[in-house]
Order: sequence, then structure tokens, then C-alpha cells
Amino acid sequence: MKKDVNITIDFAGLKLASPVFTASGTCGYADELADFMDINALGGFITKSITLLPRKGNPTPRVVETDAGMLNAIGLANIGLEQFIKEKIPLLEKMSAAIFVNVAGQKIEEYVQVTAELAKQPAIAGFELNISCPNVAKGGVHFGTDPAGVRRITEEVKKAAADKVLMVKLTPSVTDISVIAEAAVAGGADALSLVNTFTAMAIDTEKRRCVLANRTGGLSGPAIKPMAIYLVNKVYNEVTKKSGIPILGLGGIKNASDAIEFMLAGASAVALGTYNFIQPARAIEIVDGIGEYCRRNGFDNVHQLTGALE
Amino acid sequence: MKKDLVQRKKGVFAARIISNHQFKGRFCRMSLELAGLGAEAFETVTPGQFAEFDLTCASLPSPEDVPVELRDAIERKILLRRPFSFSDVRIEDGRAIIDVLYAVVGAATVRMAGLKPGDEISVLGPLGNGFTIPVKKKLAILLAGGMGAPPIQHLAKVLAAGFKNIEVVTFAGAKSSDDMPFAVSDKNTAIGPAEFPDYGLEMLIATDDGSTGYKGLVTECFRQWLQTCEHKADDTIVFCCGPEAMLASAAKLCEAEGIECQVSMERRMACGTGLCQGCAVECGTGNSGQSVYQMCCKDGPVFDSKEVIFDL
Ligand SMILES: Cc1cc2nc3c(=O)[nH]c(=O)nc-3n(C[C@H](O)[C@H](O)[C@H](O)COP(=O)(O)OP(=O)(O)OC[C@H]3O[C@@H](n4cnc5c(N)ncnc54)[C@H](O)[C@@H]3O)c2cc1C
Ligand SMILES: Cc1cc2nc3c(=O)[nH]c(=O)nc-3n(C[C@H](O)[C@H](O)[C@H](O)COP(=O)(O)O)c2cc1C
Ligand code: FES
Repeated sequence: MKKDVNITIDFAGLKLASPVFTASGTCGYADELADFMDINALGGFITKSITLLPRKGNPTPRVVETDAGMLNAIGLANIGLEQFIKEKIPLLEKMSAAIFVNVAGQKIEEYVQVTAELAKQPAIAGFELNISCPNVAKGGVHFGTDPAGVRRITEEVKKAAADKVLMVKLTPSVTDISVIAEAAVAGGADALSLVNTFTAMAIDTEKRRCVLANRTGGLSGPAIKPMAIYLVNKVYNEVTKKSGIPILGLGGIKNASDAIEFMLAGASAVALGTYNFIQPARAIEIVDGIGEYCRRNGFDNVHQLTGALE
Repeated sequence: MKKDLVQRKKGVFAARIISNHQFKGRFCRMSLELAGLGAEAFETVTPGQFAEFDLTCASLPSPEDVPVELRDAIERKILLRRPFSFSDVRIEDGRAIIDVLYAVVGAATVRMAGLKPGDEISVLGPLGNGFTIPVKKKLAILLAGGMGAPPIQHLAKVLAAGFKNIEVVTFAGAKSSDDMPFAVSDKNTAIGPAEFPDYGLEMLIATDDGSTGYKGLVTECFRQWLQTCEHKADDTIVFCCGPEAMLASAAKLCEAEGIECQVSMERRMACGTGLCQGCAVECGTGNSGQSVYQMCCKDGPVFDSKEVIFDL
């Protein structure tokens, strides 16, 4: 087999080894997946959401499996900025994938503070702005559903991000995702990632209670893939194609075919989330699978897949 | 329980089913075999550690073979792996043999019961931190509640084989005789899939309804026994696995008596490897009155009972 396909990509000015990322909240803070695969073949790595102060998150149960998917209501549990810098940055420095820190908060000032502090770290390539988490009472998804709010928070964080790439992560739980995407682009986003989880609920019929202690959670996994593909395609056609802003597509990816679907729909890169739990080496298998697909279909450069939908 | 001193190698391995059968009601026992790197990884397993099984490829049994209350549940398309601890792990001819004792309770375990010898499943492990055996103790008390039996059984074997200076007394409890994952002899001792008697260990049985052994909670049975026990608290250690209420009451009793106690906790898990943060166990942080969440899969599942703030 000829090794002639170029699977490196340019993503918002970053040169990436491959178009495959691991998604926030599903791959730890740094090198946790290194037990299972060569994490240096990843294009990008996105940390668990980091907030200014440590957060315990929600009470348990905070995960539950549903048909072809799962709900989570972790509630942005994380070690907080200070411990992240002390313990995780040294590990991240050793990784060759582009490191994105997912930033979350309750107030715009908190996002700005976390971003400004981390913008000083050479190990970090960019930020993923989490304005779309469904599992916290304040902040989270509420920022993500109001176009004016999205534009403002993007503008403020963009200033704090200095020369780093700013990617804004969109919630699918809105009436028209293109309006929100437009607002993020107007606010200065260098890239968009979509989708975050869909707000959802599961009920234990015997106990007549919600399974999750938080009652609601975010649905992820194969169950959401067709909806995520549709939303990526919509934002690509209506917003990013003309502005040249790259999309990181995610939601329900389990293998290379799924990843390719996202790229054909308009994504420049893809991220693997829930499936890391099931097959912790899968992200790298997807890198190989995409290369193989390109070879088989006569693409010599992986970026040719982006938006190649007939 | 202590963070691993030696970094053991975990991974995803193919395991072949050697045997799998239902032995009593909804209880089954399966033996799996791992070769090569898998055998190496599982060679050093300690009791209380676990593995995540991918059961998505196991086929569904026909509805007639499924208990009525599970017929809806099994139609669900499963996705995540499922955590199981081991009732024994041994090396034979360079291969690791893992015994799993399990109850058929839902979509994944129904499929698991249908696996046949020769079938292969993917096993992710070994995971978590098992029980730590302090060599200076003179008496080890093992408490198993319901499906908490497997790791306790594994521990019993390890103690019987390698710690001759430690006296071992085992207690097993369940709601009723039918909920006991062992066959029970006329003399109220466990036989069949539970090997406690084979290891030459004393075992006391308690059922809530008195259908076998002591009538009442296993922790109450243990409390009464403790009053007749001649060992010093300092020389004694308690290991338990079972429903959270049982762990909590064992922990309370041990704390009052000044006895060290290790509990194996259970949480809903999505990954088993510390990635998802789903399996939080609330733990105290000394005297500050504050608490933190530790991850059952990575920091546990075995914890020092004094750390845990039980969720009752
Ligand atoms: C570390 C660890 C070790 C385990 N070892 C064993 C073992 O050796 N043998 C064994 O039989 N089982 C063991 N279990 C439990 C086992 O993982 C579950 O029984 C299994 O995942 C059920 O899958 P299912 O799809 O058949 O049932 P599901 O459809 O997932 O659930 C069936 C029922 O059980 C409830 N349930 C499922 N998981 C949990 C949970 N973690 N906590 C509380 N309620 C739950 C559900 O609400 C539902 O009512 C262990 C669990 C953990 C965390
Ligand atoms: C357990 C879990 C935790 C998550 N935590 C975060 C998080 O902290 N921040 C975030 O932006 N997204 C988080 N996500 C969302 C994922 O990054 C991803 O957007 C979503 O799961 C869809 O992709 P998937 O179907 O491949 O999992 C989490 C998802 C899961 C399943
Ligand atoms: S099960 Fe995912 S962190 Fe424990």
C-alpha cells in the first residue's frame, strides 16, 4: 500500500499531525490515554473543563447508559486552575498533539481570568470555550443560547487568549444553531466545535425517579450522531464555509466511517468522546482509518474531505 | 487500596470463555482465559481489582429464556463496558484464568449469560486498587453482602494460601437463601461455586428472613460474634464488599471498636479508567469538615472505611 496520503491538517493556523482530537471530559487532563495508544498521533487533545476554583461536581448517579448512548451530569467536576497548572501542565508539555484547554465558568470574568492565566503557558495551543455545558445551574448552557451573550463572551475571552487559538463549543439545544455560530464568529472565534451533549433525561420506572441525581444530563454517544452531522452541515453551509473558519465535528463518533461523515458534512477535524471509554485506543485507529479511506478513494490530502458532500 | 507502588500494566485484551453457566436462580459463573500480554497483565491482580467487559457483541437470548421483569430491558442497545471483579485469578500453563461470579440483572448481564465456551470478549483491565493485607494482623474478618461475594472469595483464597499466620473468619449475608450467590449445604455452610469451605475457612451465613443461617443482618451477626472474639482490635482487620448500607454499618461498628476496615465500593461507571469522572465517592478530608469526590474506579474501589462518607 502506498503511503502517499497527507493526513496532516491546518486548523485555524495550527499544523496538526492528524484531523483527530479527543473530546473534553472524555480523555482526562493530559496523558491518561497513553496507557492504551500513541497519543502523539493525535491531532489535538482537549482537556476536561477547567474552572477558576476546583469543583466537586454533582452527586451520583451522574452517569447512566441509555439506548446507544449515555447521559452524564458530571457538573464540571475538575481540579481548578491552580492545581491544573501545577500538576498537568508539566505532563501536557511532553505531548506533541495541539493542546486545547476547555474553559468553563459561572461568569464572564471567570472565563477571562482562567484564559488569561493559561495564555501564558507555551504548552497550550488554544482554548475551547465551553458555553454549552448542560449540567451546571448557572453559566454553562445559558451563555450558549443567547446570541448577544455568545458574541460578548467570545470577544472578552478572545482578548484574554492573546495569540492562542480560540474555539467556541456550541450547544445543540437551541432553535437555530447558525445564529449562535454567527455570533461566535462575529465575536472573533478562530474555530467552532459542535456539538456538545443534548439535554436529556432518563427515568427509573420501578422507583419512579430520575436515574441521575441531577435529574437531567447530557446525551452523548452513537444515539446523537445523525443530529450532530446535520448541525455540522448546517453551520458549514450557512456560516463557516464563507468565512473559512474550521469546524471541529463531534457527537457519537465511534469509528473512521463516522469521522469521515463529519468531514464530508463540513468538519475540518473531528473529536472522539464517549467512545474513548469503550475503546481507549480508538482515536488512533480512526487516524489510520481516515488515511486508508483517502487512499481507497483517491484523495491525496485529508483536507479534501471537508465539505466534499456532493 | 494504597495507590499502586508498582505501576501495573493495564490494557485491552481478548479473553476466551472457558465455561459459563447458571448455577442458581439468576447467579452465574464464568471462567475466562487470557494469553500473552493479557496473562502478564492479570498475573499480579489483587483481590478487589476489577475489569471492564465489552458485552456488546454477545447475542441476545430468546425472550422465553429471559425473566419477565427483564424482557423490556434487554431490548436496549448496550454501549458501555461493564465492571466485574474476580472471584479467582490463577495462572495455568502461562495463561491467566479469571473466574467471575455474576448476577443477571439487566441488558448486559442477560447477554453475558448467553456466552458460550470458545466465544471471545474484550476485557479492559486490570483496573483499580484492591484490598491491602497488612501482614502484622492476626485476624482477618471478611464480610460479603449479596453480590459483594466475588472479591471477598478471591481475598479468602489469597489469605488462606499466602498468609498462614492470619486467622480468617468469613461472613456472608443476603436477603434470603435465594439471593445468596452460593449453594448452601444442610449444615448451613456454603458449597458449590463458593470455595470458602475448600479453603478450609470458617464461614457464617446470615439472611434477613432467616431462610438460611442467622436471621438478621450480616453486620449484626458479625457484631455478636465480635463480642466473643478474643483478638485485640489492633490485631484485627475487616474487609467488606456488598450494598452500601452494609458497608456503612460495618464501618461504623469497626470505628467504634477501633478496628481497621477496608470497604469495596460500587458506583455506576462509564469508563472504569478515570476518564469520565462519573463514579464519584464522597470522602472526608481529615478534620476540616470538607469533603472531596474520589473516583471509585481509579482511587478505589477499595477504600479505608474511615475516609468514605456513605451515601445512604
Ligand atoms: C467495581 C465493580 C465490581 C463489580 N463486580 C461485580 C461482580 O463481580 N459480579 C456482579 O454480578 N456484578 C458486579 N458488579 C456490578 C455489575 O457491574 C452490574 O451488575 C452490571 O453492570 C449490570 O449491567 P446490566 O446491563 O446487566 O444491568 P443494567 O441494566 O445496567 O442495570 C440493572 C439494574 O441494576 C442497577 N444498577 C446497575 N449498575 C449499578 C450500579 N453500579 N450501582 C447501583 N445500581 C446499579 C440499575 O439501576 C438497574 O436497576 C460490579 C460493579 C462494580 C462497579
Ligand atoms: C462523561 C462526559 C463528560 C463530559 N465533560 C465535558 C466537559 O467537561 N466539557 C465539555 O465541553 N464537554 C464535555 N463533554 C461533552 C463531550 O466533549 C462531547 O461534546 C459530547 O460527549 C459528544 O461527543 P460524543 O458523542 O463522541 O461523546 C462530556 C461528555 C461526557 C460523555
Ligand atoms: S468510571 Fe469513569 S471515572 Fe470512574
